[in-house]
Amino acid sequence: MQTQLISELLALLGPTAVLSSREDLMLYEYDGSVELGSPRCVVFPSSTQDVAAIVRLANRYETPIVGRGSGTGLSGGAIARNGGIVIVFSRMNRILQIDEANLRAVVQPGVVNLDLSRAVEHLKLFFAPDPSSQKACTIGGNVSENSGGPHTLAYGVTTNHVTGLELVLPDGEIVRIGGKNIETSGYDLGGLMVGSEGTLALVTEITVRLMRKPEAVKTLLAVYDTLDDTTESVVDITVRAITPAACEMLDGFTLRAVEDYVHAGFPKDCAAVLLIEVEGLMEAVQAQAAEISEVCREHRAREVREARSDQERNLLWRGRKEAFGAMGRISPMYYVQDGVIPRTRLPETLRRIEEISIKYNLQIGNIFHAGDGNLHPLILFDERDREQFARVVAAGGEIMRHCVEVGGALTGEHGIGMEKNELMPLIFTPDDLALMERVRAAFNPAGRLNPGKVLPMGKACGEIRVPHVPAAAAIST
Amino acid sequence: MSRPSHASLTRIEEIAGAENVLTDSAGIAARAVCGVRPAIVVRPADGSQIAEVLRFAASEKLAVIPTGGCTKLGIGSPPSRYDIALDVSRLNSVLAYDPKDLTLGVEPGMRIADLLSRLAEQKQFLPLAVPFSERATIGGVVAANSSSPLRHAYGAVRDFCLGMEFVTGEGAQAKSGGRVVKNVTGYDLHKLLIGSLGTLAVITRVNFRTFPLPQAQGTFVASFPTPEGAFEFCRSVAHSALTPQIVEVADPGAGQLIFSGEASARIMPEHWSVVISAAGQHAVVDRYSRELGRLAEAAKAAEFHPIDEVAQSSILARIREFPRLALEAVPDAAIFRISALPASMPSLMAKLGAVAKQNYVEVATLTRASGIVYAAFVPTGERPVSVVCLTTMIPEVFDVCAQPELQASAMLEWCPSEIKTSADVVWGPSRPDFELMRRVKNSFDPQNILAPGRFAGGI
Repeated sequence: MQTQLISELLALLGPTAVLSSREDLMLYEYDGSVELGSPRCVVFPSSTQDVAAIVRLANRYETPIVGRGSGTGLSGGAIARNGGIVIVFSRMNRILQIDEANLRAVVQPGVVNLDLSRAVEHLKLFFAPDPSSQKACTIGGNVSENSGGPHTLAYGVTTNHVTGLELVLPDGEIVRIGGKNIETSGYDLGGLMVGSEGTLALVTEITVRLMRKPEAVKTLLAVYDTLDDTTESVVDITVRAITPAACEMLDGFTLRAVEDYVHAGFPKDCAAVLLIEVEGLMEAVQAQAAEISEVCREHRAREVREARSDQERNLLWRGRKEAFGAMGRISPMYYVQDGVIPRTRLPETLRRIEEISIKYNLQIGNIFHAGDGNLHPLILFDERDREQFARVVAAGGEIMRHCVEVGGALTGEHGIGMEKNELMPLIFTPDDLALMERVRAAFNPAGRLNPGKVLPMGKACGEIRVPHVPAAAAIST
Repeated sequence: MSRPSHASLTRIEEIAGAENVLTDSAGIAARAVCGVRPAIVVRPADGSQIAEVLRFAASEKLAVIPTGGCTKLGIGSPPSRYDIALDVSRLNSVLAYDPKDLTLGVEPGMRIADLLSRLAEQKQFLPLAVPFSERATIGGVVAANSSSPLRHAYGAVRDFCLGMEFVTGEGAQAKSGGRVVKNVTGYDLHKLLIGSLGTLAVITRVNFRTFPLPQAQGTFVASFPTPEGAFEFCRSVAHSALTPQIVEVADPGAGQLIFSGEASARIMPEHWSVVISAAGQHAVVDRYSRELGRLAEAAKAAEFHPIDEVAQSSILARIREFPRLALEAVPDAAIFRISALPASMPSLMAKLGAVAKQNYVEVATLTRASGIVYAAFVPTGERPVSVVCLTTMIPEVFDVCAQPELQASAMLEWCPSEIKTSADVVWGPSRPDFELMRRVKNSFDPQNILAPGRFAGGI
C-alpha cells in the first residue's frame, strides 16, 4: 500500500520531487526544536495544483500530511509526528508580485523571509517580521507560526502583516481568503489561519504588507553590572511610554559566548546588556534616544553606547541574531524556551530563572525580546547525558509554569507544536480547548493535517513531554 | 419574532432576576435589529448568567442578539429570528488595567468614552476614534469592527486586541489569546469575533494593549480642485518619511459634513480636502508642518493650512462621527464601507460617482488613506422613488467593487431596513470563502441561535 503511495507520488511529481530512502528522510525528521519524527516520504510540489493533488492522494491513502518550509521551527511544528507525507515548499519560492504603489507583495510560501526584504530594498521598503532565522526561514513558515522577531515590538508580528492567503484545504479544495485590501468583509479567517501551525490548511500563496524604511535609525548598547538594573530599565522604558523599535536583552553568560564568536565589541565582563533601537523621523529618534540613555543611566548602566556606523550597527545585530548559533561552541545542545510575561514582571522572572538554574544545576543563558516580555532562556545540556536531560525538561517546565503564574503565556513566537501541546491546560480550560478542537475539525475533520500539534492529545495534563534524545543540534531562532 | 412561552420567561427571570428582564415596548423597540424586534430583553450580571441564558436559549432554540449601547444594531442583514435581546450593559467594569505594562482588560458594556477618559488619567489611550462615541460600548465597537481614522498609524482592533473571553452559542464560557503583548498560544479565536456582529459568541471581556498619548498633535488641511490632486498628495505623503496618525480625504459632500464654522469658511465648497494629523514631540509636529506644506504645493493644492486647536478637535470628532452625521442628515442614506487599494482610489471615486449619477442619487465619500472608504449615497427624490433608486443602485456598487482593476471589498453598513430583502443586499454576492465561514459559525454556535441571518452569506 505504502509503496503504491510513493509510486503514485512519483508519477504525479516526477522522480526529482519525491524522497523516500531512509538516509534522505533523516534530514527531514527534525527541525530547530528538540523533537523528532520520521516521515514516510518527502515531496516538493512546484505549484498550488501539485499541493492539491498531493492532498487528495494522501486522503485516498488516509495518510497524514505535514507542511514544511526550511525546518527552522522551534516547537516541532514541521515534524511528521505520526509519519506520512512531508510537503516541503522550497520549490514554491517565487516572489509573484511586488506592488509598490499599494505596499503589497504576493509570494509563494517557500520564499525566504530575508529574500523578500532584499527584493524590495531598492524601493526603500521591507517586510517587517524579522525572526532571527530570517536568512533561512520561509514566509510560509512565518504564517504558520505567526513569527515575530526583535522589531515586532514596533511593527507587530506576522499576523499584522498578512492581508490575503491562498489555501489548500485538507480535502484538496483551493480557496482564497482576503486579498490585497486592508480588510475583507466577513469573518477574519486570515486572523485565524495565521499562527494555526499548519493544522487547518496548507498555505500556498501569501499577500503581505510592505513597510517603508524609516529615515533615521539609532542603535544603542547599554551595559550593566547587575541583571536587576537591566530589567528595571526595560520596565521603566515601557512605563515612560518610550516605544523603541526593538529592545533586546543579552545576559553576561550569553554575551561572552557571542563575543568570542562574532567579535561585535560586547563587553565580556558585564552582567547584561540591552540592545535598543529607535526608528522614525530624525527629530523623534534624537529625542527618544536621549530619553532612553537617561533611563538606562538612572538605572546605573555603566555605559550607554551608540552605534556610529551601519557596520557597527549590523555587527551588534549579528551578535544578537547569531547568539543561538554561538551557543553551539560551548554546549553540545540547548533547549530554548519562549515564555512571555507582562513586562512589569521581568525583574522577578529573571531572578526566578536564576534560582531554577541553581536548583537543577544547569547553565541557563538569557537572550530575548525584553521590550515585549518575550523570554528565551536557553538551557544548555549534553544529549548523551539522560539524567541531565531529565533535569533540563523539569527546569523548562518550571520556567513555563512561572510565566503562566504571573499572567503570561506559553509561547510568544515559537509556537505550541508538539513541544508544549500537553501544557495547553495550564492556560486553557477544557471548554476553551473543546472549542479550539471544534474549529480545527471544521477545517481538518479527519485530523490528517499536521496531527498531534497545538492541542493536547489527552495525556496527563500539564506534563511536559520528555522528547526523544535529540539527534541533531538546533539551529538559530 | 416568535414569542417565548411563559415558562421561558420565568426561566430567564430565574437566571437574571425579574428586575433584569424587560418586556416593555420602549425597551423592545430600542433593541430592534433592522426592524425586527425581540420578545424580551435580559440584562445579565456576568459571564455565568450569560452562559446560563445561552444554554437555555440553545435548548429552546430561541434566537439571541447581544446588545450594548444600541448604536449599531442597524448594521448587518435582518435576523431571520430574534427572541431575546441580551443586553450586556451591566458588564461595564475595567477588570484589569496595568498602565505600567500598557495593557488593559475591560468588560463589553463599558462605554468607549468612559474608558478613554479613564485611560487619559494615565496619559494613555486606545486608538478607537469610532462613531457614536458617546454611547458606543466596547463590545459593540469590537463586534462591529468600527472603523477609526487612527487605523492609519495604530492598526485596527485586530492589531491591538490581545485576547477575549466570551460565551459560545452553546453557553460555554471560553477564551483565547491572553493579556500579554505577544502571544501565539493556541488559535486566535478572538480575531474571528471582531466584526462578527454577535453571530459567533457573546463577548464578556476584551484585553487590549494601550498606547501613550502623544506629547503634541497638529492637524493640517490641504484642498484640491480634483480627486486626482488629493490622492496624489496622499501618495506623496505615503512615499515620504512622514508617518502621520490620520490621513483622510473628504470629497465635497463629505467636506460639508466634517467642516463647520470657521474651518468651513476656508474650504472651497467644490474642493476635495485632505486632513492630516501628526503626533509626537513638538519638533516632530513642526517638521510635519514644513514638509506637508511643501508636498501640498508640489501636488498643486489650492490651499494648505494648519488648523487651530479648537477647530482641530471639532474636525477630528466630525471625521470620527462621519457615518452618524451622514445618517442624521439623511436617514435614508445608504452607506457603504469599502476597502480598496490606495492606487485605485481615484478610479473607485469616479466609478462610484458614475453609479450614483445613473441612479439619481448623490454620493459623499470619506476615504481613509489606509484603504477604507465610507461612501454615503443620498437619494435626492422623495420616497418611495428614493428607495427604488437605492435598491437598483446597491448591486451596481458591488459590481463596480468586484471589477478586476479595483478588487475592492464592500459591505453596506447602513441603509433603510426595507431595502434589506436578503443577505446579499448587505454583504454582496456569495464568495467561495463563505462556506468556510459557515463552518466556523457551526463550531461556535451549532444550534444557530446567535443573531441568525445577520451575517455574510445568510449566516
